[in-house]
Amino acid sequence: MIELKHITVDFGKRRILDDISARLEEGCITAVMGPNGCGKTTLLRCIGALLEPTSGTAEIDSRRVKEYSARELAQKVAFVRQQVQTDFEFSAFETVLMGRNPYQRRMQNESQADWDIVERCMKQTGTWHLRFAKPGEMSGGEMQRVMIARALAQETPVLLMDEPVSNLDIAHQLEIMRLLGGMDKTVVIVIHDLNLALQFCDRLLLIHDGRMLYHGDMAGGLTPENIQTVYGVKTHMAEDHIIFDY
Amino acid sequence: MKRDRTNRIGKADKACRAYASPWVLAGLVVLLAATMAVSCMFGAVDISLSEMTQGSNIFWDLRLPRVLMGAAVGAVLSVCGAAYQSIFRNPLTDPYVLGVSSGASLGAAVAILLGMEVYVWGVGGMALAAALLTVVLIYRIASIGNRLHTTTLLLTGVCLTLLISAVISFLMVLNQEKMESIIFWTMGSFGSSTWADVWTMLPVAAVGIGVVLWYGRDLNLLLAGSEAAQSMGCEVEKVKRVLLLFTTLMVAFAVSSCGVIGFVGLIVPHAVRLVAGPDNRKVVPYSMLCGAIFVLLCDTLARTVLRPSELPVGSLTSMVGAPLFIYLLYKNKKGL
Repeated sequence: MIELKHITVDFGKRRILDDISARLEEGCITAVMGPNGCGKTTLLRCIGALLEPTSGTAEIDSRRVKEYSARELAQKVAFVRQQVQTDFEFSAFETVLMGRNPYQRRMQNESQADWDIVERCMKQTGTWHLRFAKPGEMSGGEMQRVMIARALAQETPVLLMDEPVSNLDIAHQLEIMRLLGGMDKTVVIVIHDLNLALQFCDRLLLIHDGRMLYHGDMAGGLTPENIQTVYGVKTHMAEDHIIFDY
Repeated sequence: MKRDRTNRIGKADKACRAYASPWVLAGLVVLLAATMAVSCMFGAVDISLSEMTQGSNIFWDLRLPRVLMGAAVGAVLSVCGAAYQSIFRNPLTDPYVLGVSSGASLGAAVAILLGMEVYVWGVGGMALAAALLTVVLIYRIASIGNRLHTTTLLLTGVCLTLLISAVISFLMVLNQEKMESIIFWTMGSFGSSTWADVWTMLPVAAVGIGVVLWYGRDLNLLLAGSEAAQSMGCEVEKVKRVLLLFTTLMVAFAVSSCGVIGFVGLIVPHAVRLVAGPDNRKVVPYSMLCGAIFVLLCDTLARTVLRPSELPVGSLTSMVGAPLFIYLLYKNKKGL
């Protein structure tokens, strides 16, 4: 279980996150939503111990994330980042295999078990046919799915995902969201598609200007009023779907 | 565009063997031994194999330490190049391009002027201090946010190199009586290698290369970016610090015994990657052996082409390396 306690983050004079406290339930998919630059990625980085909050703490299983060693934390939390970029040509298979690092000892070769896990994760994300492809040979969406496969290969109970479906076509968006729903993981996902969130996520953490506007049940939070407050966009609900009014 | 994706199915096992193949390593070792033997034979005076076994003085006192130094320094520079390219996440870096070698040569020059060459670790120690200072400077100047930008990184390296060579020229003019021995650092040569140099260099090389090999998998993770590496279980800050310390140690000692030999760390890992792929668990050990062979060949050429006079080996490696560097820059234009 993930517990956020009064997380506040300042970058210089600018306050990015202001006193966020929440308890993210185990086994749930929590969508972190809000406009660009409202601090969603920053929140994820705090949970993944990639950023030390100015004040407050993030805890996983009642232990502060900064008290974990990198290896221990990597066995608990996997992170799918927004941008991926490398000048070196690792194949997709080798990239996903890196996700097995937290379970390997130094100077030890990957085992058959590692390879099987990589194969399974690549098949789940529909990237197995790309396994020999180099970064330059893959599209943005294919690369994004390879990154999701790498995070799955870490076999962690917690999955932090920063806009994992933003580059995917509709079919693959649905496939990935369905995959996440079918797994017994605690998922914290930054997602912009309101209807996708409504359909596949259990909980909502809505951020507005660095403050937490709402945390709780998805259907109860993604209301036309909240959307108007956060995004300044008029909407109405029709048969469990959010329709934009222009 | 039809992509080549499916025709290699079934070869996954072979394609993904992560550590160096013992057969390739054995082959390279044999090749290295042969190169060393050939390199021992040629020079201002040629020695035959039978003379070697009978224990000729030229062989024991001049040729053999020189060949061993050449091999050790070649190995060290190539391994450092491979490590730098992963640490800085940039295929265009090596200790020479970033000015770390120059930094070490400045340290060595200052040590000589202060008369510190009487102590075994005097020159090497000063070279290490100056080289570490250079690394820290480059890292501080070139990192914007938590990313190192290619352009800033390379420009910083070039500027530091120019600054340092200016300081060295200044020191030489001030101390004309020691000019000869200082010029040596800036050119790079194995001409004056002694057994004492060999016995200092070999342990440094063994420990340093051992550390880089030990962190092979971490080097791969670093290529995915600091944060990605961290979230895959690599203690990024610690690993970077340890690796920079030991690689810089190796560079400092290589420079303080044979001067600045440019571009080895750039050429060798690149050539290895073309054949063996990007995995550092292969790139590092293969680079070590190929680097030793490459520098030995260059040094053998350097002392035979214009017999009886000698070319500085650094000028030979640069003549190969600089065009390659320019080619890589050209190829990477988009990334700058």
